[in-house]
Amino acid sequence: MINPQTPMARKNGLVIQETTEEVLVYDLETDKAHCLNRTAAFVWKKCDGKTSVEEIVKQFEKQTGSRIEEDLVWLAIDQLSERKLLEKTVASKFAGESRRSVLKKIGFASVIALPVIASLVAPTAVLAVACSGVQTASSCGSGNCNRGTPCSSCTPACVAPAVCGCSGAGASCECITPAFAKKAK
Amino acid sequence: MKSESKKRESAKRKNTKLKKISIESYGVKIKIETDMNLDFQDIKFRLAKKLPDAFKLIPNDIFEHNFYITQKDSIFELHKEAEKVAESETFDALLEQLESYIRITVAEYAVGKVFIHAGVVAINERALILPAKSFHGKTTLVAELVKAGAVYYSDEYAVLDENGYVHPFPKMLSMRGIIDDYTQMDLPVEEFGGNAGTKPIPVALVLITEYKRNAKWKPQELSAGQGIMEILPHTLPIRNKPEFTLNVLNNVAERAIITKTKRAEANVTARLLISFFETQAFKI
Repeated sequence: MINPQTPMARKNGLVIQETTEEVLVYDLETDKAHCLNRTAAFVWKKCDGKTSVEEIVKQFEKQTGSRIEEDLVWLAIDQLSERKLLEKTVASKFAGESRRSVLKKIGFASVIALPVIASLVAPTAVLAVACSGVQTASSCGSGNCNRGTPCSSCTPACVAPAVCGCSGAGASCECITPAFAKKAK
Repeated sequence: MKSESKKRESAKRKNTKLKKISIESYGVKIKIETDMNLDFQDIKFRLAKKLPDAFKLIPNDIFEHNFYITQKDSIFELHKEAEKVAESETFDALLEQLESYIRITVAEYAVGKVFIHAGVVAINERALILPAKSFHGKTTLVAELVKAGAVYYSDEYAVLDENGYVHPFPKMLSMRGIIDDYTQMDLPVEEFGGNAGTKPIPVALVLITEYKRNAKWKPQELSAGQGIMEILPHTLPIRNKPEFTLNVLNNVAERAIITKTKRAEANVTARLLISFFETQAFKI
């Protein structure tokens, strides 16, 4: 049975890299990278499925020498749970409240940095080099775009099954699906 | 991969034999096949230009990645493994796509290296890395830095080893804006009065920047974790080998300053960066 008072950090399917100030976590299942600041990382490391939130608060206070609200730890747990970095999803303690109002409430009362987890989806290799946004028609080369046929230069390339093409006569060159490309002809 | 029998059938219909070459670059083995009457010299020439000092021919039975070029009606097609990844009305455009896909494959699977899509120069034997997407002014800034005295390392990839040192990838600079805003023209670094680096060097500064008209130069130093998160969107092997990649990026972040700012004109930015390197005491 889930005991939300003793959350457990997920260990499987993660690559963990400690930096000087933060902990980076790469989720192999979702290809998402997360950057946990010190506060979030501290709470995550203490989530062993045995230690209660109350105990985590005590350990945090001992380490930092500052008094903190239990809500600060819950805010970290909430974010960890949302990002699937806990074994089991924990019901949000702040259900019904906006993140902004929670942050405001805890932020005013805390001298400790609020827990922050920054996340992003890791790019595929093609996306790591691709231009962002849609290229203009002149990038298509040979006037292909005006005929609605595949373009020659969504450089470097679109991600399969999408191909570089135009969705209509005179349109901009962009990554489109082959089915649409055929229709456009 | 498109099945061997289908490839053979297609070749038979066209009354040709399946032709193939295999190459190796940074430990990545790639086979290129076609059922067309294709001269591989052009492909070899293109790859030699784009994978500087880093590709060789290998026996055809040793490969990990497979590309296949074919023609259906008037359309040329490029297949990678099982999927059609590009098509074009012109063969030249398809070869551009092939060359691009091969470089990306090498960058993604390179053995013992992490490729970041970035410009790289050296100033006083310390590297400045400029990660950015295409069309964000990487090459322009690299060219201005070279004109201002920096040593050229790459206008496309920062090639990092396991210690976080950056290796030269001195392909010709692919400049846009000479013919038009989109067509690239390859120019040797000597055209900019500079020369190319030859040895691995430590990274002193990673600058996340993009051009914005009249932008104010306000570099904001990032923590190691924040910095790595900014570099990750430009990092090719992150999905394929996340553990090695994060370790290498951390090795960079431990020594280098990682900073972010909008920039104005490239020549102004280049001068700022050169003077920054000349006055800053780096950790390395």
